[in-house]
Amino acid sequence: MHTDVSPVNRLLLGSAGLVALLVAWEIAGRVFGGEYTWPALSTILVMLGDEAQQPVFGRAVLATLQSTGMGYVIGISTGLALAVTSHLLPILKPGSDRLAAVVNSVPPIALAPIFLLMLSRETTPGAVASIHVFFIVYVSMTSGLLSASQAHHDLFTALGATSRSRFRLLELPAALPALVSGLRLAWPAALIGAIIGEWFGAPRGIGILIINAMQNFQIVLLWSAVLLAVVTSLVFYGLLTLLERATYRHIR
Amino acid sequence: MSAMVQHAPRLLMRGFQLPTRIVSKYWGILLLLIGWQLWIVVNQFNPIVMPSPMGVLRDFMAYPEVYLENAAITLLVAIVGLVGGMLIGSSLAVATGLSPLLSGLLSPLAVLFSSVPVVALIPVIARLLGYNLSTELAIVVIISFFPSFVFVSTGLRDTPAGSNDLFKVLGASTWATLLRLAVPSAMPNFAIALRLAAAHAILAAMVAEFLMGTSGLGFIFAKTKDELQTEQAFGASIVATVISVVAFLIASRIEHRIRDHYT
Repeated sequence: MHTDVSPVNRLLLGSAGLVALLVAWEIAGRVFGGEYTWPALSTILVMLGDEAQQPVFGRAVLATLQSTGMGYVIGISTGLALAVTSHLLPILKPGSDRLAAVVNSVPPIALAPIFLLMLSRETTPGAVASIHVFFIVYVSMTSGLLSASQAHHDLFTALGATSRSRFRLLELPAALPALVSGLRLAWPAALIGAIIGEWFGAPRGIGILIINAMQNFQIVLLWSAVLLAVVTSLVFYGLLTLLERATYRHIR
Repeated sequence: MSAMVQHAPRLLMRGFQLPTRIVSKYWGILLLLIGWQLWIVVNQFNPIVMPSPMGVLRDFMAYPEVYLENAAITLLVAIVGLVGGMLIGSSLAVATGLSPLLSGLLSPLAVLFSSVPVVALIPVIARLLGYNLSTELAIVVIISFFPSFVFVSTGLRDTPAGSNDLFKVLGASTWATLLRLAVPSAMPNFAIALRLAAAHAILAAMVAEFLMGTSGLGFIFAKTKDELQTEQAFGASIVATVISVVAFLIASRIEHRIRDHYT
């Protein structure tokens, strides 16, 4: 439809777009909005930079990162475990597919009270976070394990490979790109789960800041907390994207 | 009579086939339900704290209207928002695709926005637009907009190698290229976006209802949880789960159909 823009130009344009957005935000906040509806970007940044508030924000971000990280790791382990098990024992596959889909479809707001009963207030956010991570990793890994080409499989068969070595040397490496893509997508999902989990009684966290600010009409605080969540999500998402690019380059 | 005796072994086997098939496909879910019931029995939970599967079933049968009405509301909001958001996202993708400048400016932003934690935005939008049904709709539209915009933009650009030049050589107008090349090549991506957005739309509708207390399954969940009608709260969650699963299956089926048709 149109010739592709060169990468350098694309970077410039992208940055220009981002700058335009930030400027528009600032203008909108000053002209149309106000402290009780749409704060200007500078107002939010001032609150975030405020020395008195820093410990509050710092503790909240730390708590949420801990829950997210915990959920991330647990979700990855369970997702991998189920994916590998049902790959090696295909009779389990249809049931485990459906189990994963159903577990993933339970609304997180319903899961949180259940986990609250089974675990403590502090660990519930991590548990809620792990559910979506589990599903994403499970789906990525199962489709990745099946992604080795037929030609490669035939080669292994011709060389008389056992199913153990076929798994170790062909299917597992072939699954790596899909797995890493899944890892990238799972991080924001883990963060969302942690935030929702915090709404149900965690002692501290970004989700707590958000819900309290919302209920007490502290709009600037609300926007600041949301901005913190967004930045946290983007930083790790960016790191995982780099990891994904490196993996794709290495595997190809 | 003797025919039955003759066929008895086969009938017996046939009789076992259906349960075996059910178990092999649904063993995970059955395990969950059994585990749930056992957990209640072992811990002797008061039904207010944690209801049993049987208790929830009883509530379904006692108050079907509550469930149906609210499920319909949540579903309506999710579907209308999904369709609206996907339409806006796709049309904007087509519009910006025509201009390299615009797409260069907007695409990175859209990718940025689509990785933003969705539920973090819901309180902000709720406070901005007010606690009502149209805000809920706006939230679902926004959530469905981003995946469709990003995926359709990529799909429009990733035409098969050489096809762009072919169309140019044959002297096709921009409109014809758009209709016959770009849009069909973007369809598989559109289908992926649809599947992702469908799951998020239902989740977002429920969370929005939960936070804003308007109506629908999320609101029922919040209200009955606070009023300690835990069985109904659970019932609402189960209905929401079933809706999500069905939506996921439908969207997957559509995706397969589109992929088979367009690749």
